[in-house]
Amino acid sequence: MAVLLAPGGSPEAVAAAFDAGADAVYVGLRGWSRGGARGELTWPELAAAARRARGHRGELQVALNTIPRPAEQALLQAAVPRLLDLGVRALIVNDLGLLATLGRAHPPLRVTASIGCGAQMPADVAALAELGAAAVVLPATLGPEEAAACVAAAPIAVEIMVHMVEEFVLLGRCVMPAYLQLRPTPLPDAEPGARRQSGSMKRGGVGACFKICQQPWTLRDRHGARAERTFPARQLSRLADVPGYLAAGVQVLKLQGRSLPADAVRPLVARYRRALDAAAAGRAVDAGPPPRLPEAWTVVGR
Amino acid sequence: MSGEAFELATGIASLAELAASDLEPYDAVYLGSPYCDRYAGNLLERPGDLAEAVRRLADLGKRAYVTTYAAPRHRQVDALRRALAAGAAAGAVAAEVHGAGLARIVRDECPGLAVHLGTFAHVYTPAALEALRAFGVVRIAPPAELPLDEMVALGAVAPVEVTLHGKVPLGVSESCVLLGCEAEWGVGCPDLCRRDVFVERDEWVLKSVGTGVLTGRDVCLLEAVPRILADGHRRFRIETLSESPEYRARVGRVYREALGRALADDWTIDAGWWAALRAHSRAGFCNGFAFGRSGLEYVGAGAGAGGLRG
Repeated sequence: MAVLLAPGGSPEAVAAAFDAGADAVYVGLRGWSRGGARGELTWPELAAAARRARGHRGELQVALNTIPRPAEQALLQAAVPRLLDLGVRALIVNDLGLLATLGRAHPPLRVTASIGCGAQMPADVAALAELGAAAVVLPATLGPEEAAACVAAAPIAVEIMVHMVEEFVLLGRCVMPAYLQLRPTPLPDAEPGARRQSGSMKRGGVGACFKICQQPWTLRDRHGARAERTFPARQLSRLADVPGYLAAGVQVLKLQGRSLPADAVRPLVARYRRALDAAAAGRAVDAGPPPRLPEAWTVVGR
Repeated sequence: MSGEAFELATGIASLAELAASDLEPYDAVYLGSPYCDRYAGNLLERPGDLAEAVRRLADLGKRAYVTTYAAPRHRQVDALRRALAAGAAAGAVAAEVHGAGLARIVRDECPGLAVHLGTFAHVYTPAALEALRAFGVVRIAPPAELPLDEMVALGAVAPVEVTLHGKVPLGVSESCVLLGCEAEWGVGCPDLCRRDVFVERDEWVLKSVGTGVLTGRDVCLLEAVPRILADGHRRFRIETLSESPEYRARVGRVYREALGRALADDWTIDAGWWAALRAHSRAGFCNGFAFGRSGLEYVGAGAGAGGLRG
């Protein structure tokens, strides 16, 4: 039976996700996940989320999906035993080095290659499995047929991020914010005042993103032609493809959105719960319009 | 690279662009455009042209590397297999890949090709690079935002190819931002992305190559050449995929001279170098990423090198 994996960017969102029927919830550990502090939990909040997961007989997964700098490596590695002590057994990472080493260093762990690892085809899934991934997250731009090919590529779990924003630059691969402007962010669990010096969201720094790709830009060529554009972006909802993904062998249907408030998480999760249950029982999936989040929403939730 | 003091490489997308280029400053060329399979004359879609390009480079005494798509989908893999096979048969010595999947394919199916890890692989850490050595990776072009001090750590695992100059990629997409301009501009694909399109908002300038977004300013590490050599790096790239043959030749010549002078312990910056670089830069220079700053900043003494727009 496929798992519905929902985002929990706050204690309230974690509660809402489990209450609405998520089998598992993924959270970010403050300071160590893409997207910044708005979608991350502190250690006490994480401990509470782990208790809530146990109460629901669900699973809590933790995103450690920034890419650590050399000075941060030890701090990040020190977080892992603490997570294990809380009962966390699934981590989501972006760095292939962490992918290759964390599972070996901590055998109870299952390590997932985040969508930011860029897997889009069977060869990627096979390669990430060879490196030690227990699961790989693929974007919703892959339909059930492509997903089936990925499932067949390696004996690991294939996850599809079935509800997401497809921003212009491939998810997890944009350094535009770091190019245009940086704001140093605190280095977690370090000495007071220690700051991350630089870097994109992938490095734990937060640039002046403010949806720069969604602001109007002027395109101008060398011949003087000009046009006003935003970089294309769209919300993707694969609700109607839930049966197809299940038939393809996809094991996890993942919802994007650790920046979502609880009152947006609840109906989103409930909608996909109904779809997943219907598909698993061989019933038709709700044919209503796909769930749609506020237009202003992005994964960073500025 | 045996016998060479350093290697200077660049990228060329098509046979026509190769024919138009003076490659005297360069030792190696990455063939093909990683951005789009519709790019006019893309060598990745034309195995015959690719083989011819490899032979021409060999005649010039240059090494040929075959790049691959920055974010390939499964439907593109067979074309890439044909390109890699054609390139290898003609004498190419390496494939540039931007992810673990293609690295694995090259390792398993093209044993004659060394594996270079490209910038779109987004490999930042020595541990990640070490893990990818399982796929035969022998060189890495780091992500644009990786500072020089972290490149040293990567260099302890595998040689780092440092981009010394050019508009570097900030992101790649499956969509083309230019396709919507066809009606307004009266120009269609594949000509749109070859019109030197800059993307501006207030004081910010980027460059579009359709599916890719580049820095609007040219990354310029001329002043840092001695430090980069002292860090142990000996493989370098000038990013010229979206530039004119004149840019490719002139900028390459500047850095060839600069590297030679620095290695001869005779370091001074020739005023003519700045003049040449400025003549080929629309929006000025930047190098902030190399020093842990915002990418569009310029760190250095080069007078007026930063330019007014980013």
